[in-house]
Amino acid sequence: MSMLNLNLPAVASAPAKAGASSAAASAAQSTALTTTQQCYIHPVVLFSILDHFLRRNESQERVIGTLLGVRSDDGRVVEIRSSFAVPHFETDEEIQVDMEHHGAMFALHKRANAREQIVGWYATGASLSKYAALIQDFYSREAAPFSAVHLVMNTELTDGQLGIQCLQGASIGVGAHPENCLFLPLPYELQYPDAELSALQAAADSAEAPEGAAALISDMEQLERTIDELRAMLGRVATYVDSVCSGKAKANSIIGKYLMDLLAVVPKIDAKQFSTLFQTHLQDILMVAYLTNLARAQLNIADRLQRIV
Amino acid sequence: MVESKQQSKPMTALLHGDTELATFDTSSIPKKLLSVLDVDKSEPLRLVKVDPLAILKIVKHARENFPSLVNGQLLGMEIDGVLEVTNAFAVPTSLSSEEDMTDYQVEMMHCLREVNVDSSSVGWYQSTRLGDFMQRPLLEVQASYQAASPSSNSSVMLIHDTTKSEQSGNLSLRAFRLSQAYLDLAKDGKFTTKDLADKGLTYGNVLEELPVHVEVSSLARVLLSELQWPAGAEQELLESLQRPSSFNAKQRAKRLVDRSAVSDDVDAGADSLDSGLSSLLPTRPAAYLSRPMCTGALSLGQGQTEPALLSRQLETINDLIDKQIQQAHQWVYWKRGEGKEKHRRQQFVQRAAQTNAARVARGEAAEPEPAEAELDRMFKVLPEPSRLDTLLNTANLDLLTKGITQSRGPALTKMFMTQSLHDSSSRPQ
Repeated sequence: MSMLNLNLPAVASAPAKAGASSAAASAAQSTALTTTQQCYIHPVVLFSILDHFLRRNESQERVIGTLLGVRSDDGRVVEIRSSFAVPHFETDEEIQVDMEHHGAMFALHKRANAREQIVGWYATGASLSKYAALIQDFYSREAAPFSAVHLVMNTELTDGQLGIQCLQGASIGVGAHPENCLFLPLPYELQYPDAELSALQAAADSAEAPEGAAALISDMEQLERTIDELRAMLGRVATYVDSVCSGKAKANSIIGKYLMDLLAVVPKIDAKQFSTLFQTHLQDILMVAYLTNLARAQLNIADRLQRIV
Repeated sequence: MVESKQQSKPMTALLHGDTELATFDTSSIPKKLLSVLDVDKSEPLRLVKVDPLAILKIVKHARENFPSLVNGQLLGMEIDGVLEVTNAFAVPTSLSSEEDMTDYQVEMMHCLREVNVDSSSVGWYQSTRLGDFMQRPLLEVQASYQAASPSSNSSVMLIHDTTKSEQSGNLSLRAFRLSQAYLDLAKDGKFTTKDLADKGLTYGNVLEELPVHVEVSSLARVLLSELQWPAGAEQELLESLQRPSSFNAKQRAKRLVDRSAVSDDVDAGADSLDSGLSSLLPTRPAAYLSRPMCTGALSLGQGQTEPALLSRQLETINDLIDKQIQQAHQWVYWKRGEGKEKHRRQQFVQRAAQTNAARVARGEAAEPEPAEAELDRMFKVLPEPSRLDTLLNTANLDLLTKGITQSRGPALTKMFMTQSLHDSSSRPQ
């Protein structure tokens, strides 16, 4: 089994030093890398990190794994799309990362999704691991020619939240040593494509359900809930507008602008034209519904007849 | 947290072989997991619980490869008739041979087992576009899955409809298993009218649908609530509103306003936001849009996509009906041929009987009656064409028409909503 042994310089033995010197060369090269400036994170990444943390070995305190994603052509914008777990063993003196597993998993991912490359790594825990700089050095070599992104999630919930952080390494100091690394925060945004939103919505619904699991709801129920919320929102806006009009609340120009935009969105359609549109559309829907019902009735009859025969 | 760690233990123990299983201390397992060790026992599956992680992976895979259809493997375990799907992975579409596919799956599951992911396959998922997923290959794959594990009935297929999830703003994920009646018939490969009637197999019960629940772990719940209302978002909103000209700020502010909508304390806008808002927020998170995630349900669909979707659906229905008629013709043709042949056979038997009667009347010895086997040889009746295609066709039609009927309610609701909006906006003030 090929293991990546990373030692802190203070306890580094002779062979490790040899490794470190080659790492130093690549670190020197990494200073010339294009720095990442913006991160986009796909929610599935966060969920898989949490899942990995939940399934860690008993004595383990933190988990690490590889982040996969795509980059813009100039490498400044990173989109983290998926991730996989990498087993590692941490002691006071050294850290071992299972390279064989990392390589195998990446190859497997590559076959299913050819576009995604290694863009960085993740770790859980309240603070950065003391080996973070060393791992960062390894991943920046994997992610070359671009710099690696480090995603940290505070699964200890020390300050009451997950505190998702995106970091990038910058080498500091005169000599380029991999352990001389400064982690700088990186702005990130979460991405919600429409299909994922509906999945997250379903998950959020179950999270609110008392027993922690809820059935999926039908389209009609979903629509009903959304309309209820829309009404509530309109109610809030109306209350606000009323209170401003009556002089109770201070008017805010920015909110005013948003309200204007909102009203401008409502298309101005001639009443006559609207009623024609409405009628034709209604007729279309009813027609389609009638035809489909007819087809269903036919199917049913055919089925019953078959049993008689 | 502790629970899920233990969940993976018995499974790995099972897989490591008997020696380890013998030394495995059953007392350390929670009671509700003991049934997992009991391999012989089988209980009908009644519920599928899916982890958000698995759902998101399926959704992502399907979306990125849209419009081509994709499939993948589901991982998890079954406890007392509840199937828990905890993870999923994509299977590359480029794999051509069956062996490659199996190799890939085995390798992936081996890797995932090293990081304590549930390593037993509990089925597979398939993405679909219009809902007519009832195809022969699909049923065959599921049949092979169900045949592979007949005792522990842990294999289910999840059908995810990408278009529907995106456009109605409501996740479309359904779990199916093949019914016993279908499996029995598929074993012999015989789908004649008589067999179908005997087994009571109709278009409605080829597949059994199972209810799908979404189960969220505690940590994932924290994450979800943070995604719904990210900490520090109001601060971000304030800052970006104060310098609207700064790079990217406008867009970000708009997004935040979109997400948070207008709250009760709207007046906490630009200048006064810093004073009161932050103290108000944590105590009244409900004041903000409780579900900022989905507004897709409200989309009127008068743009490009939805009518196109509907007309595509109708076209598919048309095709299916055409096919149905064609198959019905084929069947009638066969029936007529069969009838003719039967008639000729009857005539032959009658004629033989008549000549025999005449011979007896003349006092001659009667000729032996023609044997059944001989008759069968002389009058060959073509075997009935398999009714499977017709059955699946009907099932697809049923699925599609049901889908359209179900979409009628929301469509009408939205239309009347638009009408009342229009009425109120065009009414003179």
